[in-house]
Amino acid sequence: MKADLELRLTHDGRVWIAGNGDWQAQGASLGELDSEVRRLLRDSGTFARGRRVVVFMGFDFETIPTWLRQYHTHYFNRYVSLDL
Amino acid sequence: MLTTEDWWAVWLGLIMFFAGMLTIWGVDLVGWMAKTKTWEWSRFWDDPAWGKLLGVAHGKKGKAYEGLHPLAGLIITFLVFATLTGIGAYFQKLNVKRYLLGFTCLFFITWASWIIGHEAHFKALKTGQSITQSQVWGDDLYCLTKVHKCSALIAKATDKLGVGPVIEAGLKPDATPDEIAAAKAAAAQVLADKKVKKKTIRMSWGLQLGGGFSYILALVVGLFIGNFMKGFAAFLKEAAKPEWFIKTAIVYLGIKLGLMSMKATGFALELALAGAAATFVAYLLFWPIVYTLGRKAFRLGRDASAVLSSGISICGVSAAIATAGAIRAKPILPVAVSMLIVVFAMIELVILPTFYATVAPDQPIVNGAAMGMTVKTDGADAAAGAILDEMMVANHYRATGERWESDWILSAAILTKIWIDVFIGVWAFVLSLIWVYKVERKPGQEHVGASEIWFRFPKFVIGYFIAWFFYVGIAVWFPDAIKAASSGAKVVQSPMRKMMFMLTFAAIGVITDFSKLKGMGRLAVLYAIALFVIIAPIAYLVAWIFHHGMMPPVVTAAAG
Repeated sequence: MKADLELRLTHDGRVWIAGNGDWQAQGASLGELDSEVRRLLRDSGTFARGRRVVVFMGFDFETIPTWLRQYHTHYFNRYVSLDL
Repeated sequence: MLTTEDWWAVWLGLIMFFAGMLTIWGVDLVGWMAKTKTWEWSRFWDDPAWGKLLGVAHGKKGKAYEGLHPLAGLIITFLVFATLTGIGAYFQKLNVKRYLLGFTCLFFITWASWIIGHEAHFKALKTGQSITQSQVWGDDLYCLTKVHKCSALIAKATDKLGVGPVIEAGLKPDATPDEIAAAKAAAAQVLADKKVKKKTIRMSWGLQLGGGFSYILALVVGLFIGNFMKGFAAFLKEAAKPEWFIKTAIVYLGIKLGLMSMKATGFALELALAGAAATFVAYLLFWPIVYTLGRKAFRLGRDASAVLSSGISICGVSAAIATAGAIRAKPILPVAVSMLIVVFAMIELVILPTFYATVAPDQPIVNGAAMGMTVKTDGADAAAGAILDEMMVANHYRATGERWESDWILSAAILTKIWIDVFIGVWAFVLSLIWVYKVERKPGQEHVGASEIWFRFPKFVIGYFIAWFFYVGIAVWFPDAIKAASSGAKVVQSPMRKMMFMLTFAAIGVITDFSKLKGMGRLAVLYAIALFVIIAPIAYLVAWIFHHGMMPPVVTAAAG
């Protein structure tokens, strides 16, 4: 699936965080996070209103404790379709 | 492909695999590898020498290494593996300096444990003659090499001296005292033969633990460091990578399975297929039972139950992380569950090999397969399988004088685990579909890519199967090259693989801190109940259904 936007996804123990260096969104749940991303995208004007935007969120596995990384190398990635 | 330990297990495995393979063309690039020897305390102190403790592993194609001092072999072994794993550590973004310092300590702790564990009173097995013909040979004759080699040496010396009939006469049930005395004198002559004398020893006691004692010793040393020398353990942690070491060892084990398949192709394939079927059936039973228990009896949330069920039912930490990712759980959940899994895997590793070997001494392959389905984490499973293999082969030999071929029991434990590892990605994919499209359904929003299966696929399995099928291919299409191919392969699959196993044992001990069980409460109780009341019995039943009747091939005195 081709994404219009790629974001780095992490969790700080309290909230999910998605961002790309220029901006970041937070949410207690992934649903809340998606809503916040939609709001920020809508406000930024990067994409036209009313358009469907596919956002790729790749979980940054380097935020998993080092000792655990030897057991598995991937947490999850997600594609989210947002109607702005 | 350069940043994960999984791929680096493939690279380290295949580098040595190809290096070993060159013996087909007469080039030995692995013959420098150090190996341990069985030694006896008093003989060593009579004339201390490194050569009594260590040797160099070269085969017939590695004549160039014949003059290499064993200590030089050990240092080369260290330099080669420190360099290769150091490069791997660099690409995995580990702190290379800390890794190399830690690896150096771990390497020499491991080798010290390995050498001590090879002292004859711990390791040596009695000769076949001492078990079945003790009235002539005595019951205190131990072997300082593989027992079938001892038997062959004794038989050869008996023939050379022409004393076979005298010994046979002394072994008859109705032998007279004179015949017995004559037979004993003839046996003494045989034992005085130079080659026999070098490889046998009379000892007043011996534990006859085989190579398993070294594994246990490395584990105990690692556990001591991990629980009583926590500062040192923290220093070693950058290099204590049991999963990396064991995955590399499993690639080397693919070579061993390839060599074993050359002799018993049908049995190897039967083992692989039975393991796949057993794993599939066990999956379908374990997961729903543990999930329901977690939800209904322990009132755990959906996420916690799913992560714990996968961790305990499937393949430990790897499955817990995969499942947590698949159901989009907060990362703290698999981290907590993983601590639990690592500690319990250690408990399983300590208890189960002795338990299976004692309760079912005549079911070696069933025991191995059950181990693979019960013990979580690849490292702990392979470690438990290795101990079980050594223990059961030694016990069976002690009881019957018949020696099973080594490593078939271990292979049964590894094969079931490998199928489980392969299946993790598929299972995680199915769970993510269920969670995203059913449990937490938000129509039209999130999509799950099938690429997640590949992300979660255990890459070291690729190396394992390449190594295995390559040697099967040689046996089928180039049978004339078997002997030459075996020369280098034996170095990689034996001392090199065993060294990676030893490193795994020490590293598992170092990273296991039993104090982490504190505060785990309900999760720990559920884990213990599910493991010992549900998983272990069902795994054994399923292993028995698919593997009963399968026995390892028997080693004959003539076998190499």
